[in-house]
Amino acid sequence: MYINVFLYTISCIFVLLSHSAMLLNVYFNGSSESTANVIILAVAVLGLDFAYFIIMLMFKQRTYAIDFLLILILNMSVIFQSCFGGVHLSVKHYITCIVSLVACKLGYMICKNHKWLQMQKKYIYLAIGILILAILTLTGSRSMWINIGSISIQPSEFIKPLFVLACATSVAEQQKKHKFLWFYVVYENFALYGLTAVICLLQWWCSDLGSLPTFVGIFICGFFLRICYPKAKFSKKTLISAGVILLIVALIALRFAPDYVQERLHADIWNDKTGNGYQQSHALIAIADGGWFGKGPGNGSLCNIFAHENDIVFATISEEWGLLFALMVILAILIMIAVPLINPPRSYYHSTMSAGVCAYFIMQMTLNIFGSCNMIPFTGVTIPLISAGGSSMATSGFMVGMLIAAQSPEFKNPDGRQYRNAPVRRRTA
Amino acid sequence: MEFFNDTSNLFLCAVSAAALDLCVLVLILIAYNEKKHAQQHWNMISGCMELSAPDASYPLNCDEILIGRHASADIRLPDLSVSRYHAILTVSDGIWTITDIGSKSGIFVNGTLVTERVLMENDVINLGNKRLVFRRRRNNNVH
Repeated sequence: MYINVFLYTISCIFVLLSHSAMLLNVYFNGSSESTANVIILAVAVLGLDFAYFIIMLMFKQRTYAIDFLLILILNMSVIFQSCFGGVHLSVKHYITCIVSLVACKLGYMICKNHKWLQMQKKYIYLAIGILILAILTLTGSRSMWINIGSISIQPSEFIKPLFVLACATSVAEQQKKHKFLWFYVVYENFALYGLTAVICLLQWWCSDLGSLPTFVGIFICGFFLRICYPKAKFSKKTLISAGVILLIVALIALRFAPDYVQERLHADIWNDKTGNGYQQSHALIAIADGGWFGKGPGNGSLCNIFAHENDIVFATISEEWGLLFALMVILAILIMIAVPLINPPRSYYHSTMSAGVCAYFIMQMTLNIFGSCNMIPFTGVTIPLISAGGSSMATSGFMVGMLIAAQSPEFKNPDGRQYRNAPVRRRTA
Repeated sequence: MEFFNDTSNLFLCAVSAAALDLCVLVLILIAYNEKKHAQQHWNMISGCMELSAPDASYPLNCDEILIGRHASADIRLPDLSVSRYHAILTVSDGIWTITDIGSKSGIFVNGTLVTERVLMENDVINLGNKRLVFRRRRNNNVH
């Protein structure tokens, strides 16, 4: 375990300072009717900060930068969500943030030893199979949601990290080729192609194409890493062929997309403000209203619009906190997923896993932000770690745990095999 | 009064934004600092080993190193006696192991034909006509 006490303390102080500055902004500019609401929010946020700083030390990691960025972003989202429609602690979102932190540590523990994880690949595929069956049987008529009382769960969200792991397993096993008739084939590739096809068909069948680009993004990321295995030497022919095939598939998919997709693709939001353009037109007006520095926490009007806390959360934050601050939050998320570029993983498995996680975050953020701003069709996906929603928060937390695992990996033999001819002394030349 | 409120709003927004920026900047610097420690940890895991050929040396910077004739191999040995994907080196618990991945000419470690073998310092590995020595890295600053 590595820990630099000085740098750890400095990181804690700066995270606390950042949250304190936001809370001061809420206190002076917010629309709180009583100071008690702000105090409760401050205690909750700073309390979670302190608790996580202590809990982090119990996990023997060698890197902490991503953990600090995670708690910074999560508590910022608690402050944002608590200010929508007036300042009061959003207990539901606060609990989902804690769930996200737990999922993060779970992701770290599961993924830190990639050799062990590779041995569990059949369970990864089994878990995906169970989730797909759950969607088909428990979600009701062609839906993605399971409703248990007042709680709604979206099982398709949990497929995303498992799909990233399946991609990573596929890349890590590329050298294991088997002769089939006259060709050498990798069985893992067929398993992954089949899995991708099943997931795409499932999304189509459930009429929920919002998450499809995320899955495709992760697959493309894994696919490019696979054809570039092992040293990322790009073969131009393969890359161009793959690009052309993808373009053709995308054009065909757009041509034969269902009616509701076609409507969104060609929606004129300003002429259809009460229909397909309802959320987007209000989101754009709110962003313009907020300007660079916002109206102040809790003073926005977008909180009256449906899905203001998840699908158009970027616009809601922009209205209340300003476009500048909203963009900086996105920058903080981008920096968190860019940490593997600073400290590259030491195994192909972890490299592919990190790339898949980055693809997930970038696709989700792109779909949400550009969708809100009417630059692409509105899909209704969430911004990871910012939007409200238990399934999304837990999945995002788990994914961040995977990033942390790639930064603090374990290189141990999972089967405990002892080498009979292990080196006991040096051989002289 | 409205001007005062606007100024106060602007000031607090600027302070929040500056605090967030500063925090992110500090965490980036800390990530760079952690990189050094990750490198030290890797040196401990890998034992600072390298494969040395008469004309080149190859540091072992990853937990799986593919050796072969193919352009995409980690250690490329452009010789027809070496298979395109000849052998793979893996590290676990600080121990390096070489494994044959279906080569035509096989792997010889200190003159013995092996399919899988734990390597010791100064072991001589023959892949086709190519001869490599598994040894400690001469320059520990190589990354």
